[in-house]
Parts: sequence; C-alpha cells; structure tokens
Amino acid sequence: MPDRTHLALFVGCLALPLAFVVASEHAAGTRLRSATDAAAEVPIATAAEDAYCSAQLKQVVRRVASACGLLESGARGCKPADAKAVAALTGEDFNALFTPLSQRARIVQFDEGEGRLDEAGMREIETVWAEKRGASFFFVVSRASTDGGVGYNAQLSQARAQAVLQHLEAKFPQDEDLKKVGLLWLGEEFAQLGPEFCDWQRSRTGSPCTAQDINRSAFVAWIDCAI
Amino acid sequence: MAFDDDAREEGLHYPPALPRRAAAARPFLAFTVAAALLGAVFAAVSTGDFIRHLDRQVHSIHCSYIPGAGAEIGDSGCRTVMLSPYSSVLRALLWGGLPISLLALAVFAYLVMHAARPLLSSAPFTKHDSLYLVAAAALPVVMSVLYGYISVTRVGAVCKLCVGMYATSGALLFGALLAHVQADAAPAGAPVPLPRYARWFGEGVVYVAVLSLAYVLFAPASPKSLQGCGTLVTKGDSGIMIPLGQTRGGTPAITVVDPLCPACKGFDERMQASDLYRNLSVQAVLFPLDRACNWMVKESLHPGACAVSEAMLCDRAAAEDILAWAFANQAPLRELASTDDAGIRQRIESQFPTVKGCLGSSRIQNQLNKSLRWAVANALPVLTPQLFIGDKRVCDEDTDLGLEYTVARMLRGETPS
Repeated sequence: MPDRTHLALFVGCLALPLAFVVASEHAAGTRLRSATDAAAEVPIATAAEDAYCSAQLKQVVRRVASACGLLESGARGCKPADAKAVAALTGEDFNALFTPLSQRARIVQFDEGEGRLDEAGMREIETVWAEKRGASFFFVVSRASTDGGVGYNAQLSQARAQAVLQHLEAKFPQDEDLKKVGLLWLGEEFAQLGPEFCDWQRSRTGSPCTAQDINRSAFVAWIDCAI
Repeated sequence: MAFDDDAREEGLHYPPALPRRAAAARPFLAFTVAAALLGAVFAAVSTGDFIRHLDRQVHSIHCSYIPGAGAEIGDSGCRTVMLSPYSSVLRALLWGGLPISLLALAVFAYLVMHAARPLLSSAPFTKHDSLYLVAAAALPVVMSVLYGYISVTRVGAVCKLCVGMYATSGALLFGALLAHVQADAAPAGAPVPLPRYARWFGEGVVYVAVLSLAYVLFAPASPKSLQGCGTLVTKGDSGIMIPLGQTRGGTPAITVVDPLCPACKGFDERMQASDLYRNLSVQAVLFPLDRACNWMVKESLHPGACAVSEAMLCDRAAAEDILAWAFANQAPLRELASTDDAGIRQRIESQFPTVKGCLGSSRIQNQLNKSLRWAVANALPVLTPQLFIGDKRVCDEDTDLGLEYTVARMLRGETPS
C-alpha cells in the first residue's frame, strides 16, 4: 500500500508539471503555425512622397528627368524652348506647382549679367544639398531677368544652372546623388518669378529684391516625390 | 520506493511506535512541502511565460511577488531577465534554449514529492533521511544565490518571479533544516545510506531529465528562422558602415541600429553576452527613428537619435564609445532632445569634443542620409534593430530569445527541412 502511495506521489508530482509544459508548448506551436506575418504590417523604407507631390508636379519632374535628362543619361538639361514643351503648362501654372516648396527650396541669386556664384550662393546650395532627406530628385531651375536679349539670357541662365551643378560636383565629388540633379534653364522666356518669391529663402535675404533681382537666380530644391 | 521499505531492505529495525521527535518533524516537513510547492508555482508561471514566447510573438509577462499576478506587456525586470542570455541554457541548440525556470520547476516538483513522502509514511524519519532533504533543499538556494548575483551584476535587472523563487528556496532550506533538527537519530552504528541517497538523487535526475526531454521534444519549430526574412539587394558603400566589436575576420554581418532605441540596447547586450561579436564581423548601419533626419517616421520615436548618429559618423574611431554612451543614457538623451535639439548636440560635443565642428555639418548630414537611403534601396522595414548574416536578414522574432540558435544555424549554412 505505501508503495502505491509513494509511486502515485512520484508520478503525480512529475506528471503535473509535465502536462503543463507539454500543453503550453502545444498551444505555442498552434499559435506559431497560425500566426500572421507581423513584419508585413511594418512600413517599408521608401523615398519621401510629400503632400505637395501633385500629379502635375510629378509629371513635370518626370519629364525633366527623362526629356531634359538626368546627368546619367548624358544630357545636360533643358533649354527654354524645351522647357515650355516639357512642362506643357503656362508659366504661372508652372510656378504654382512649386509654391508648396516654399520651406524646402532656396533661391540662389546672381549679380546682373553674372553666371558665377558668390559665397552666399555656394553656402545656400550646400545647405539645400544637405537637406536631402528622402527626396528622389534635385531640381535646379535657373532664370535671367528681362535685361538683355533673349538669346543672351538663355545662355546666362544656362551658365547659372551649370554653376550650381559645378559647385556641387566640386564640393561633393563622387557623390552618387549627383546623378539625381536635373537642370532646367528658362532664360527670360518662360515662368518668370513674381516679386512674391522675394519672401522665399534666398541667398541674399535682407537685400533689396525686385522682380528683376529675383529672376537673376537659380531655384534649387530637393523634390520629395517618388518619381 | 518508500522510506520503510528502504529501511527494511537495508536490514534496519525501528521500534513500532512513532518516536516523539519524528512527530515533531512533521510540521516542518509540511512547511517544506508548502515552500517547495510555492516555488514550483513561481517556476511554473515563469516557465509558462517563457513557453508562450515560443510562438515568436510578443506577450505579456507576469512580474509580481504574487505568482500569476502582474502581467505586463511593457518593459519590466522580468522581461529583461527573460530576454537575457542567462534565462536559458543550450541556446545555440534549441530556439530560446532550455529555460532555467523549467529546471527549477523540475527541482521544486521533486522536492514537493521528496518532502511529502515521509509525511505519508509511517516509518521513522531519521537524520539520515533529513540530511538528504537538507542537501537537496540546498540546491535551489545555491542556484538562487548564483542567479541573483548574475541578475544584479550581469543583467542589471531583477525579476520579481525570480525573487519569489529565491525566497521560497530559502524557506524550503529553512524548513528542511528544522525538520533535520527534529528528526530521529539514525539507528546506532547505521552507516550513511549512500545507495538510498543515490536512488533518491536518481529520482531527481529523472524529474529534470523527463521535463527537459519533453520540453525539447515538444518545442515548436519554425523553418522561417533558418530561411530568414529577406535578403540585401545592395550592400552599399563602406562609408555608411561602422564596425562594431573587435572581430574583423568572422562572417560578415550588418546590424541596423538606432542609438536611442531601447530594443537596440537590449539587442546589443544580447549580442555581447552571447559572444556573437566574436564570431561575426559586425558592421552597423545607422537608422535613427527620429523625424529630424528620417522622413520615414511621422513622429520621432527616438528624438535625438539623428544627432547621436551624426556624432558616430563624425568620429568613426570613437563610434563604439559614442554608441555605448548613448545606450547607457538613452532616456535622458531622448528627453533632452524632445525639448531642445541644440541641447543634445551640446551635450554630445561636451562628452566627445572630437565631433565639434562636424556635428550638424552638411557633409555629415549627407552621410547619415546615405544610411537612410541604404534602407530605402534595400526596402527594409522601418524598425530597429535588424540583423543580417551575410546578406540574409534574421527575422525580427529571432532577434531576442532565438538569436543564438538562429545565428548559429545561419552560420552553419543550414537550410530548413
């Protein structure tokens, strides 16, 4: 009789935790097999796609990227006539597309008839370049004021766009992101900036700003749109 | 085998009446049984919490001096201890390893059985019997002292369930000692019954072996642990990688970390404690979940992480020291950064003067941006930490309890059957 009691005690004390362990593991196994992939609910790292990325803006940027060419395609940007065709917009509508970038973009100003950057302009470009965040495309849109001839202004605005690119290449050599720079020079023919753009962040903030001044410029910005 | 049978077999003769002192030992035996039972309940709750995590999900953990109470989903000493490499053994052989609490459960269950036996027996309870009980009851106390020390000095956290086990272990030994004092003297000239001790010890081994074997046999397995959860599409340039650990010749591995993320800190501690930094040539890619530089998060989960990441990129030679400092001061740094971004930058510069003039520069912001873009190029989930062995991504659910098991198998190049 005591043998049985003690055997029952031995078995009972072992069986209880054993049953608990096996049942718990069985339940865990059942959950494991039926579990959904929680990782699938975690967002995936992507390029930025901000609210201002309207279909029209993306269209313009995409057209610049393809028709005017990114650097990797060997092309060097769009001249004014091309720009009009690429944008397929009026000048006002074209500028309106970029209005939401007022806090993201900077306007690099040049002296009259000058295609070279000053110190403040260089610093402005470097600052914008560092604020890349999740952007996919770096846009340089240069202009010239209406002083001088149309052809001259087209060349001048091209020189301004090239000056921005050359400074980036000199400051950030070997940077893969240089391939994401798109140039668009508009001369005086298309999408002239209105005086309201004087309120934007510009390299000569605090200095007088007329409609002529603001167009002697290159608009530079990272575009936070998945192009 | 019963006590009276044991005595009969060994040719010992006792007077028929129960001696007075043996009767006096019974309350202490009962106390010992109760203490062992309570210890078994604590161990069972802890084991249950551990086993629940074998489904690779996140669960609440009981963390209270009252067994079964205080289930918490957030951080707690019990969670920290459970996720530490000291909570189980054989972690490289079995996903999560064999939990120490399971071994404790086996020992406490055995002690319940062993201490209850003389209570149910009419045979005398002699000092020979009680001596073994004292020795057996000393085992949980020794283990309690050892694990209490590890808990405080290595893990840096104390688990309430463990404290419950430590306390019941002490009570158990106390009860066994009092029972020993009150036990009958052994028959004059009777030798210490070593064969009986060996058999009792063997019974204890059976308890531990049966529970351990059952645990191993019924532990759920997932082929996903070996398949991994994705691969790297692009390795990226070395400019964004920061070497961690001293090993440079091991299997290449990449960790995606946020210096102010608590999970990354825990992950780093597990990597260090598991010696994985010695077997792997680990490089870190910074992925701060801080809106100041990371456009992928709507709100800063870890404010200040961008500034710390910039500092690590500024002084790569001191990057590990900066990371260790950030891990050690995560909460105050996050708090400071949430109200004062300039403040955290000043704090970093005062701690690591070599980063002055570099922190916040366009060059270093550009470099940190490349780290984030590396995550985009590889379409990584927006979370930290992440671990890649070679180019294979370790599943998130395998970066805590199953870390050693998964990495060991990936290093051996095992494929799921």
